[in-house]
Amino acid sequence: MRFLDYIRSAFKNLSRQKSRTFLTVSAITVGSLSVILMVSLLTGIRTSLMDLLISMDAFSLVTVTPDPDALEGGGGGLITSGNGGPLSSDAKKLDDAALATLRALPNVVDATPIGSGIWMEAMRLENETKKMWPSLIAYEPETKVFQMPIQTGRKLTSLDMDKIVVGSRFLKTYGYTDHPQDILGKKVVFIMKMGGSAPDWGELPEKPPTNADKEWWDAQNDKERLITAEIIGVAENSAFDDNQNYINIAWAQRLMTQVRWEWDDSARKACEEQSQRERRPVDCASQNTLTLMKDDQYTKNGYGSIILKADNPDNLKTISAAVAAKGYGVSTAEDMVEEMNKVFLGIGTVLGIIGGIALFVAAIGIINTMVMATYERIREIGVMRACGATRATIRHLFTFEAAMLGFWGGVFGLLLSILIGKIGTKIVDRYATDIPIPIDQIAQFPWWLVTGVLAFTTLIGVLSGLYPAVRAARLNPVDALRYE
Amino acid sequence: MIELKNVSKVYELGGEKIYALNRVNLTIADGDFLAITGPSGSGKSTLANIIGGLDTPDSGDVTVDDQSLAEAHDRALSHYRNKMVGFVFQNFNLQPNYTALENVMVPLTFAKMDLADRKKRATECLKIVGLGDRMKHRPGELSGGQRQRVCIARALANNPKMIIADEPTGNLDTKKSAEIVSILKDLNRKLGVTIIVITHDPRVAGEAKKKLTITDGKIR
Repeated sequence: MRFLDYIRSAFKNLSRQKSRTFLTVSAITVGSLSVILMVSLLTGIRTSLMDLLISMDAFSLVTVTPDPDALEGGGGGLITSGNGGPLSSDAKKLDDAALATLRALPNVVDATPIGSGIWMEAMRLENETKKMWPSLIAYEPETKVFQMPIQTGRKLTSLDMDKIVVGSRFLKTYGYTDHPQDILGKKVVFIMKMGGSAPDWGELPEKPPTNADKEWWDAQNDKERLITAEIIGVAENSAFDDNQNYINIAWAQRLMTQVRWEWDDSARKACEEQSQRERRPVDCASQNTLTLMKDDQYTKNGYGSIILKADNPDNLKTISAAVAAKGYGVSTAEDMVEEMNKVFLGIGTVLGIIGGIALFVAAIGIINTMVMATYERIREIGVMRACGATRATIRHLFTFEAAMLGFWGGVFGLLLSILIGKIGTKIVDRYATDIPIPIDQIAQFPWWLVTGVLAFTTLIGVLSGLYPAVRAARLNPVDALRYE
Repeated sequence: MIELKNVSKVYELGGEKIYALNRVNLTIADGDFLAITGPSGSGKSTLANIIGGLDTPDSGDVTVDDQSLAEAHDRALSHYRNKMVGFVFQNFNLQPNYTALENVMVPLTFAKMDLADRKKRATECLKIVGLGDRMKHRPGELSGGQRQRVCIARALANNPKMIIADEPTGNLDTKKSAEIVSILKDLNRKLGVTIIVITHDPRVAGEAKKKLTITDGKIR
């Protein structure tokens, strides 16, 4: 028999028992559906993450963090926050000296300090009531580290102080998506609550009166300090980081510098000593003076992280090793991708097992259907043998039928999952514009997935058909013809 | 020429050996029309199956045109059945979901013939048995006699050397039986096909050129 004859015959025989064929195929459909959806979802998310990293030129960047241990076991993002927090004893300070050293490493083209997590309650557009979760990244804008694409307005310079480049989420939140140029020149208000102290920008904190009590300090705690920044540009960022807003690190350093009044009792003590020495009672209490204290976080604790740009992505490993040798923590996009792959492998394994069980059950369905078919067609097998069919021909006939069940299961699984992907994208698009997932790629169906699924379900069919086919081929033709 | 030498076939039934065929020697010349009769269980069907290559003897040898069947393996035997033998069954054994034409095409498919050639040849065969106007009918839409004629057309498809008909008229009335026998006689006379008919019906046996009777696995 020829290949086409097998297919024709399989088709004809399967259409004899339409409902049974339908049920068997739907079991395979459900099994393959779960496998396809999981793979396409994972690829979709993975691809967009990779796109993001590539668009950020992340594969030529090395992130240096103060703590060599903190990143072990993963969790470090490309742009790590974390400043001012307690550092472990192994941590090394990422100050300007460190920046200079790192910048001088071989293969490093440039370096920028990164500051994030600036003390802030919330931020909003001036004259608007809707507040946004603060998300600020401070960096040295005139380095070659980031190619920050700007969709409208201009980029930051190292002289910009109270200027901000907002992310595209900002446009969405305040309804400027269709006319982003109109947001330029508007002000962003940072709402800060710092108790009795203030950042080294804008008004000084109120001097505490000599009789400052708890009530006065409580009032200070509730006091909102408003810092304004002029919007000079809108970043062209991807859906993952569209909530990020950017400022110059020099300004961030001012904002991160805590200014407060402190009592200076040296004059009073001098006065008291003098009065004791001279045995002359003097009221020294009024000699207390207030001194303005400045506490520069970046100088004291160092920057949150430093990002280095390599001359060539191939040199990332060399740079990482050099940085690690100096006792800093180090992470690259490759580390991130590795972490990502580990997570995806975990999720994939769990979903794979679920899909595998579904397909296994479906395979048993095929075996059942085919065993039934061989029983029903014993006489027919006898006739075919009498007409010149070899054992191999009979075996192939039944194997083709089983393979076809698997194949159609794969086809319907694919069609259904593409449909579900489309519907899912529509729903997510309509109701969840704020979640940070790139929606246009929520499920992907690359050619290797399509062919892989069809090959896999067909293979399942072939394997399930093996036993019934061999059974059918083994039948003695004389007994088969006599079978009632 | 078909030759059987000392052919035996033994079945075991409850520990007792039963000879379906016991040292049978038989020669059938090309173009013969042979009727085999005998009581039920005498071994006539076994004889026919062995000649047709569906069954193999336990001892002895069968040669067809000097080629031995006894030692042949599945592939060779299947090829032999496909090219040299046409089977006609008492209960027709047609595919219920196939049309008459498709049923006749079955042995041609196993012969790896082109689809167009298959259709052409199957049409010819149906015309030979007088069913040129029933080609698109399924077995359920045909009478018993017509079904048996489809079965003969299928047996004829690959231009076989012989047609083996096991009780071809067992399920038919007298008139239809006569029709089938006359078709077989025609094939024998016009195409020179060797016909081996197993039958209980003395009228069918009476039409054959030769007749032999089997009892207890032996030719009398």
